[in-house]
Amino acid sequence: MIEVNDVRKQFGDVQALGGVSFSARDGQITALLGPNGAGKTTLLRTLVGLLKRDHGTISVDGVDPERDPLTVRRNIGFLTDQFGLYERLSTREYLTYFGELNGMGGAALKTRIDEVSELLSMDDILERRTKGFSQGQRIKVALARTLLHRPRNLLLDEPSRGLDVMSTRALRRALTALRADGCCVIMATHVMQEVTALCDDVIVIAKGHTVAQGTPFELCRRTGIENLEDAFVSLVGEEGIAA
Amino acid sequence: MKPAFVTICLKELRETLREKRTVGLLLLFTLMYPVMFGILITQIIDRSTRSEREGIELAVIGAAKAPTLMAQLKQKNITVIDTAPLDEAGIAALLEKKDKVAGVLRLSEKFGANYAAMRPARIELWFNSAAESGPQRREVEDVLEAYGTNVASARLLAHGVSPAALAPIQVQRYDTGTNASRSAGFIGSMLSMLFFPAFFCGMSAAIDSTAGERERRSLEVLMAQPARAWEIITGKWLMAASLAIIGLTLELILAHMVLSWLPLEEIGMTWSLNWFDIGMVCIVALPLALLAAALQIALAMNAKSFKEAQSLLSIVLLLPMLPGVVVSMMDLKTALWMYAVPMLSNQTLLREMSKGVDVGVLPFLLTFLSAALPALAIVAFAGWRMKSERYVLAV
Repeated sequence: MIEVNDVRKQFGDVQALGGVSFSARDGQITALLGPNGAGKTTLLRTLVGLLKRDHGTISVDGVDPERDPLTVRRNIGFLTDQFGLYERLSTREYLTYFGELNGMGGAALKTRIDEVSELLSMDDILERRTKGFSQGQRIKVALARTLLHRPRNLLLDEPSRGLDVMSTRALRRALTALRADGCCVIMATHVMQEVTALCDDVIVIAKGHTVAQGTPFELCRRTGIENLEDAFVSLVGEEGIAA
Repeated sequence: MKPAFVTICLKELRETLREKRTVGLLLLFTLMYPVMFGILITQIIDRSTRSEREGIELAVIGAAKAPTLMAQLKQKNITVIDTAPLDEAGIAALLEKKDKVAGVLRLSEKFGANYAAMRPARIELWFNSAAESGPQRREVEDVLEAYGTNVASARLLAHGVSPAALAPIQVQRYDTGTNASRSAGFIGSMLSMLFFPAFFCGMSAAIDSTAGERERRSLEVLMAQPARAWEIITGKWLMAASLAIIGLTLELILAHMVLSWLPLEEIGMTWSLNWFDIGMVCIVALPLALLAAALQIALAMNAKSFKEAQSLLSIVLLLPMLPGVVVSMMDLKTALWMYAVPMLSNQTLLREMSKGVDVGVLPFLLTFLSAALPALAIVAFAGWRMKSERYVLAV
């Protein structure tokens, strides 16, 4: 459960977040929609306590990431826009490193790595060094890292970019399974199909403000437009698109 | 469960060691120095003991014309090689063959006649100044001069004049500079270079794990893990420091082996350190490596790219040379304050110990603490700085 109330963040003269409020419930996949530069990445960074907010409150399972970032991070899987792979390490070594940082170890970690690798069908690249991996292979490794420590909350920044059809399906299966387990998933994306097929709830932000929150159906009804993509454009407005 | 900084340190170490070319080069640079230094000292020893060992060989053309002179040369342990007449080119060719003869003495055709008639009898001394036989040549000249003076004295005496009239002054030379003191200065300056691996062995790893990680944008992922800022910094610091420590210890041990093995006694020197002493030197050098790594991490983490950090740190690399250079330029005597300046303290300590001075406990303590305390302070500062948002934000 992630609750955000009127969060603002300013970098110098730039108002990155001007008042974002929403709540993402457990057992749901929440889509985070917004044009480029709307403040999605800043918002996600604030949620894990990498950035300090200027105003407002955040609660991740009842914990403030600014007060106790370590507890929050232990329960969050964070996929950033950068994968952060280490070219000189193999996939398994990479996953072991982050598993140990999250307090795992020994045989349990090894079993879990095999599990995640099967889930994302990446057995073929598990023992290879990550140098020269394709975009899809890179994102799989990063996703595996995100899921490794069985976090209760997932923050995914465009998780499906660069994935082929099979891997996209595998990712969807994985996310559906996590939802069934009662995880809280927030997913920033630009693919409307994915939102319609996967997401229970949608948050639309533009220029650092929450514009709307609701199910895809509700958003369509509110704008009176049948197609989610057109509804999104209408919600964000011409201004948001220009930015 | 391992502490986060141990996990980070081990991972960085593994990543660095996979860069085989860099590690190989570092190892080569580290090990090359003591070996080169050993070869240089061997040459010094060889040169300074050559004349005593082998005596001097001198080619003489027309030796039969001056038997007394030849006898005197032999008395001075100079071997006379009777040689057939040669022209200039022949003599030059003979001198070209290095290490064979110190010079060629050619007595002119009319030597006997001129000598008997008391006219100056010419002797030519041919030598090759490029062949480094200067001291040997001077010995030959001394013999010639002494011979000339003897003959002159005998002739004056025959005329009833005291030979003392020929010597209004008498010069007696005393040289207090020995081979040992000359070489001691030379070896001293070589010893101070032994501590440089502390600075260059961990440098590229320190840069790669901070500025490099920032440039590759993997730092954000790392900082989003449940590890505190100081744990991340400490992990990276210990990794860079352990490389520096390995390099430094290898260098010191190898230098000790080379210096113990060389016959330093032949130039009147001793290497009085034993394995316990060198162990102590290594132990008090640990904080120096820790300090170097801390400094490199703290500076490199502020650079936005590997290149930027590299140019910044190459300037910092010159810093540790400064105290040593200032001290030798101003010709300062060893004083207690020198043990409170990192790097200079290690250099001074090793130099004093190599002279066989019993320095006591205080210099060891000062050397250790003068580097250890700033190292801890710098790491604490870097850990505190790491909390800032600017390291998360894009480059």
